[in-house]
Amino acid sequence: MLNTDLLQGLDTAEADRVLGLGKTMTVESGGVLFRLGDRADTLYLIARGRIQLTLPIQVRNREENVTVEEQSTGHTVGWSALTPPYRFTLTATAQLQSEVVALDRQALGAYFAANPETGRAVSLNLAEVIGRRLQVFQAMWVREVQRMVESRCA
Amino acid sequence: MEMLLMGACLSIFGLAVMCMAFGAATREPEEQKAIPGAEREAVKAAAATRFFIEPAPPALPLAARSRVPIEALLLQIENHVRLEHAAAECFLESPNAALLHSRTISPLVN
Repeated sequence: MLNTDLLQGLDTAEADRVLGLGKTMTVESGGVLFRLGDRADTLYLIARGRIQLTLPIQVRNREENVTVEEQSTGHTVGWSALTPPYRFTLTATAQLQSEVVALDRQALGAYFAANPETGRAVSLNLAEVIGRRLQVFQAMWVREVQRMVESRCA
Repeated sequence: MEMLLMGACLSIFGLAVMCMAFGAATREPEEQKAIPGAEREAVKAAAATRFFIEPAPPALPLAARSRVPIEALLLQIENHVRLEHAAAECFLESPNAALLHSRTISPLVN
């Protein structure tokens, strides 16, 4: 069984049933899993490898993709698939050959409707992942604002 | 006579080499010429005031920063994001104002 942040707290059999809804995919090094702005219908659990998440930044009038986060085995990427408006807000690229389990939103939704306890557990895990991300980026944002204030007041 | 001519030639050659070496040693680098005088003075002043206080190099003026290769700049940005991410994680482990505003060693902002 894949030990992943999204399936924490589920017993092995139930976690395997959820994973069974997905399709295992191999992404070659440098391969793009999804792009910023794409329609998000699929959530990805990293079974092996490393995925980098990038955002475009204008550098000297050139648009460059800058890594803002890296995720490895056991972590989830692409949770935009579970939250409206179902559009990816980052670009995900494999840093090395990686294996992911692709879970379709519709399939997950149907399974959770039939198994509400599993749906609740996964939703709480998802809230933890999103909450943590929010707290980290909030702190990063405050630090940048602080530096901006200091440079303005210097 | 031949010896005299050879000696004269060697002297002239030696003198030419010395002139070139002196010229190279005293000439300003091309990129330094490109920086406007005011900015160059600002860098010198910053270096002078910080010399005995802190070893950190002075912040580069805009013109100097624009000469940094874009690949190096991107690496600096990504390194900066990693450091900030780590600082934010550190803050979340034990939230307090001091950790939130801890100084960064990122060259992008120093």
